[in-house]
Amino acid sequence: MNNLIQTFALVEMSITCAVIITLLLQKTSPQEFPGIAKGMLILLLSNLFFWPLGLGMELPLSAYVRGVIGDLSIVTTLLLWLSLFSGSKPTPLAFKFAVACISIAFYPLALGFGMFDPYAWGYGSNLFFIGVLLFATVCGLANWSKGVWIIAIAILAWAAHWHESANLWDYLLDPFLAIWTVIALFRALYSKRRDKARSGYLFRPG
Amino acid sequence: MSRVIALCFLLLAAVIGFLHIDSRPPWASFASNVAAPVEEELITPALPKSKNQTAPSKVSIADPISTWLPETGAASVHAASLIALKDGTLRSFWFAGSREGAADVVINSAVFDPKSANWSAPTIVIDRVSAEKGLARYIAKLGNPVPARMADGRLQLFFVTVSIGGWAGSSISSIVSDDEGLTWSNPQRLISSPLMNLSTLVKSPSITFADGRLGLPAYHEWIGRFGEFLRIDAQQVIDKRRMSSGRSAIQPLVFVNDTQDATAYFRQTRSAGQLKQVPVSQTQNAGESWQAGADLPIANPNSAVTGLLLNSGARILVLNNIETGRYRLVLMMADAKSGQWETIEVLEDDEALPEDQRKEFSYPYLMSLDGNDAHVVYTWDRKKIRHRSFSGAWLKRAQSQLGTAPTEINSQEAK
Repeated sequence: MNNLIQTFALVEMSITCAVIITLLLQKTSPQEFPGIAKGMLILLLSNLFFWPLGLGMELPLSAYVRGVIGDLSIVTTLLLWLSLFSGSKPTPLAFKFAVACISIAFYPLALGFGMFDPYAWGYGSNLFFIGVLLFATVCGLANWSKGVWIIAIAILAWAAHWHESANLWDYLLDPFLAIWTVIALFRALYSKRRDKARSGYLFRPG
Repeated sequence: MSRVIALCFLLLAAVIGFLHIDSRPPWASFASNVAAPVEEELITPALPKSKNQTAPSKVSIADPISTWLPETGAASVHAASLIALKDGTLRSFWFAGSREGAADVVINSAVFDPKSANWSAPTIVIDRVSAEKGLARYIAKLGNPVPARMADGRLQLFFVTVSIGGWAGSSISSIVSDDEGLTWSNPQRLISSPLMNLSTLVKSPSITFADGRLGLPAYHEWIGRFGEFLRIDAQQVIDKRRMSSGRSAIQPLVFVNDTQDATAYFRQTRSAGQLKQVPVSQTQNAGESWQAGADLPIANPNSAVTGLLLNSGARILVLNNIETGRYRLVLMMADAKSGQWETIEVLEDDEALPEDQRKEFSYPYLMSLDGNDAHVVYTWDRKKIRHRSFSGAWLKRAQSQLGTAPTEINSQEAK
C-alpha cells in the first residue's frame, strides 16, 4: 500500500511539474498551443520527471521536488491540471477571496499561534466536514460546477487515503494555493482600482 | 444540468466522507501502566566482561553499571534511545556520522544483554539513501531515532528526516520490524503539519492508549516552539493535539498518572531573561486537551529531559539541572506521595574544570526492562554514547532515603 502511495504521488508530482512548465511555455509563446502539442509536451515532460535519469542523481526529478514541497493538495493539483484546457471557466474571484481569508486565519493558528489548532479538525471533525460540504454547495449554487467536482474529488481522495496524510486539510489546501489566492486577490483589487481610475470618474462634473 | 450532476457527485462524496469519519477510532483513555511492585532484589550483579565497562559491586545491592555503546568509527554520535526487547535484552538506537546533519549520518543499533553486561556489534538500521528511496523524496539528513512497541507486538522506529534547511525543516518517518529490530520495513512518512509537513520532530518515548494505539509526544520548532501530541495508528497520524504554545517549550516527556491524567515536562527554549526551568503541561482527558501548568522548579539550560515512572510509583528524571551549559547530568527522583524531586546520583559533572574543557552530556533517554530498574543512555561529548543502569534494588533504596538524608541528597532546584 505504501509503495502504491509513493508511486502515485510521484506520478502526480511529475504531471504537475510538466503542467507548470507547459503553462509557463504557453505564457511566453505568442500563439496558443494546439491540444495535441500540449498533450505531447506533458507526456514527454512527465516521463522526464518520473523516471530516474542517473547523471549522479539517486532519485527521479519529481522526488527532489517532492522532497522540498511535499505533496500538493488535490484542489491545487486539479486546478493546475484543468487550467491547461483553454475552454475552462476561470476560477471565480469569490472562491479565491474565500480561500485567501481561510488561509490567512488558518496558517498562523495551525503553526502555533495559541493553543487552538484548526488543523486537528481535518482528522475527522464532523462540523468541519459539514463546513467543507457547505462551501462546495455554495460553489455549485454560484454556478461553478468545476469547484464542486474538485472538492468532491478531494474528499474522495481523503477517504481513500490517496496521499500519505489522513488529514482532510491536506487534500483541500496547501501553502501554494493560499499564496496564489492571496496574490490573485490583490491583483484583482489593484486592477479594479486601475480600471476605476482609467474610467475618468475623478474628472466627471459633480 | 452539469450543476445537478456535480451536486449529486458531491452528495456521493459526502456519504463516503461521513462513513470514513465514522470508521475512525474514538479517542481512547491511556493504558494503565501501574504494575505490582516487586520484592526488593538483593543480588550481586553480573560482572562486566568487556574492557570499556566498570562495575563496582556490593554484596547486597547492585551498584549502578556503566558501559559505552559500541563505537562505529563515526566522529559524531548523538540522540541515543532505548527499548526493551521480548527476550529481556535492551535495544539502543542512535545516529552517527562525520558530524550532526551530515549526509553520511546513519541510524545505528545495538543490543545490550543485562546478564553479560555486553553490547552487541552495531548494525545500520537506515541510512539517508535508503530513507529517500523508501520515502520517494529527497532526504538530506537523518536524526532522532525513537523506538516504540506497536499494539501487535512489532517494533516501530520513529526518526526525523530533513529535506531542506536545518532541523526546523524536519518531518517524522517510521519503519517497522517483525523480528525485534533485525530487519526493517520501508519507511513511511507521518504527516503532521499543514505547511509542507515541515518542522515536526520527535525525541521522547511514546505512550500507549487503552486501544493499543500510540500517543507520540512530538514538537514543532520553526515559527513556534511547542509540543504536540500525535495519535498514531500503525504508521499514520490519525489525530493530534497541541501541548503548549509560543516559542518556549519543546521535546515533551509524558508521565501518565492514570487513565485520563498525564503530565508533560518540556525542554525550555525561552528567551534571555525568562525563567530557565522545566515547563509543564497537563491533561485530564487522556491527551485530548492540554493546559500549561506551573514550571517544575528544576533548572534547565535548554536541554533534553528524560524520565520514567517506576512500578514503585517513584518517578525518575535525568537532565542537566543547571541554567547554562550541559556539563552536569543528574538522576533525580520524586516519590509518588511527596512529589519533591531530589538528586540521587550525579552521572556526570565537569563543573570543576575550566569552562573550555567542560564536556557536553546531553540527550538522555531512560528505559526500564521490568518496571523496577532503569537504563539511561546519553551523549558523551558528542563522541560517544554512555549507558548507565540502575538495579531495582538500588532505586528502591534511593527511594526509601528520599527526604531523609538532606546532607547526602542535594536538592538541585533552580534558584
